Amino acid sequence: MERQDIIDGLVEILKTVRTVDPAKLTQVTEETDFIADLGTPSTEMINIAAKIEQKFDIEFDDDDIDDLGSKVKDVVDLIVRTQEKA
Amino acid sequence: MELQGRKVAVVGMGGVFPTCTKLDDFADKLFSNQSLIREWDQAKHHGKQVRSSVSGYVTEEEMHLEAIYSSHIEDYPETYLDHLNRIPHAHLATADVGSIWAMLATLDAIKMADWQEDDIQSELTGVVVGSGGSGTKIARSAWRNFFELGKKSRSIGTHTVDRSMFYREAANISCLIKNKGVCESIGSACATGLGNIGHAYRLIQYGIQDRAVAGGVEGTSLESFIGFDGMQILSRGFTPEASSRPFDINRNGFVCSFGAGIVCLEAYDIAKARGANILGVIDRYFNNSDGDGNMFHPSYDGQKRLWKGLLGNSGMVPDVVKVHGTSTQVGDAIELFSIADMLGDKGYHIAAPKSQFGHMLGASGSVEMIAALLMLERQTVLPCLNSVQLNTELEYFQQADSWEGPQTPMAHFRELIPQEAFKKEINTVVCLNYGFGGTNSSILLSKDTQ
Repeated sequence: MERQDIIDGLVEILKTVRTVDPAKLTQVTEETDFIADLGTPSTEMINIAAKIEQKFDIEFDDDDIDDLGSKVKDVVDLIVRTQEKA
Repeated sequence: MELQGRKVAVVGMGGVFPTCTKLDDFADKLFSNQSLIREWDQAKHHGKQVRSSVSGYVTEEEMHLEAIYSSHIEDYPETYLDHLNRIPHAHLATADVGSIWAMLATLDAIKMADWQEDDIQSELTGVVVGSGGSGTKIARSAWRNFFELGKKSRSIGTHTVDRSMFYREAANISCLIKNKGVCESIGSACATGLGNIGHAYRLIQYGIQDRAVAGGVEGTSLESFIGFDGMQILSRGFTPEASSRPFDINRNGFVCSFGAGIVCLEAYDIAKARGANILGVIDRYFNNSDGDGNMFHPSYDGQKRLWKGLLGNSGMVPDVVKVHGTSTQVGDAIELFSIADMLGDKGYHIAAPKSQFGHMLGASGSVEMIAALLMLERQTVLPCLNSVQLNTELEYFQQADSWEGPQTPMAHFRELIPQEAFKKEINTVVCLNYGFGGTNSSILLSKDTQ
């Protein structure tokens, strides 16, 4: 799966998070910060992680989630890494 | 020792009421002797698993709300949509249905109170709101996914605690309006609604706060209904509108209902100085416990002491007593006799709003206090629907040697209990509510005369 496909998938997930302004989802890049740029409440990050696991049919390690950064590229990296492990 | 303290005014009210679109609709239905109780399809769906199927319930659709269910765990409301855009998404995300109702009722009450942003966001503005239940709709699904379906804790997300904790309604209101004073909940079972208002009254009376959002909420919950149904204490065998029949000889249980009642309280002098519309004045709040070690059975002694605590030796007789009046066999009789012991058998009337909308549990005290405020406003006594026939014989407990109350049957008090609303000069109303655990609460309301 290409990294852009993963980003597109993340945007689809973010569209279901009502606390994120949809207008901010038109130009999401790897450098976009979930919290600083998209205004995602930090409490929603774990909900997003759970939705990512379902959408990409993967299961994150707890340690990886604990160490996860807040930029899109951090999440993409983790998805790629987890897919490779599987 | 008791401090006299400050007078407290009620300056706003709002709520969520079965079958009603807004407060005026609620008032119109009550004063035209209508019942808000319906057959409940959710209960009927469970067939013989439940014995009662009537309720004063409110649906999400009726409140223009829509549950958004999780895509990755079963039957779990991830958040709600407010189709009228009254509550921002960030606040919907932390709320169960009851908390959303609490926020909506608060916005209506504050609008009526005409409080400005500086008033609301003050260190002297508190939120004191509670409920009887425990966020069961959220918790049931979350725990099932974890314990039965083996889902990870993170799959149920970050909003199970905030949407099921005790105090969730107060917390959600406070986060919405951004007050900087106290934020807390009083829990006293079916006296919760009145207990929260009473506590808020004391905070203002004793100068700790200048104003408060106060009340009780009970979000529609089949789990709550089932719990009481299992105790065999819900009404059955009548049409919906005839199911709640306080004091009637054929009463056989209460109608489990849901709703929200929120009031805005303000130090009387402050309210008066700004020209607020004063809906009523709280003259006194008193609460106590039965002290007899019995979780459920009403206590004649406890209620007599409640009246003494509220009115003392003043000799005052209120124009209306808004009773708890649940439509249970012993509860109604004990309540009637304790009222008669204090006030005699004439010179006042009894209103029983549960006859019209059932028992809203943690919301009952506050919604019924709103009904009392409406009685003051409309100068009309609300009825006790379905109190068709009162017992002409003594209750079994009146025949015991230890009974110290009236030696007359309930039918002796017929003239006190109207079956239809009627006009009358009303200057004072006493509100009564009781709860499991032997807790008793009372408030004395009066019309503003200054």
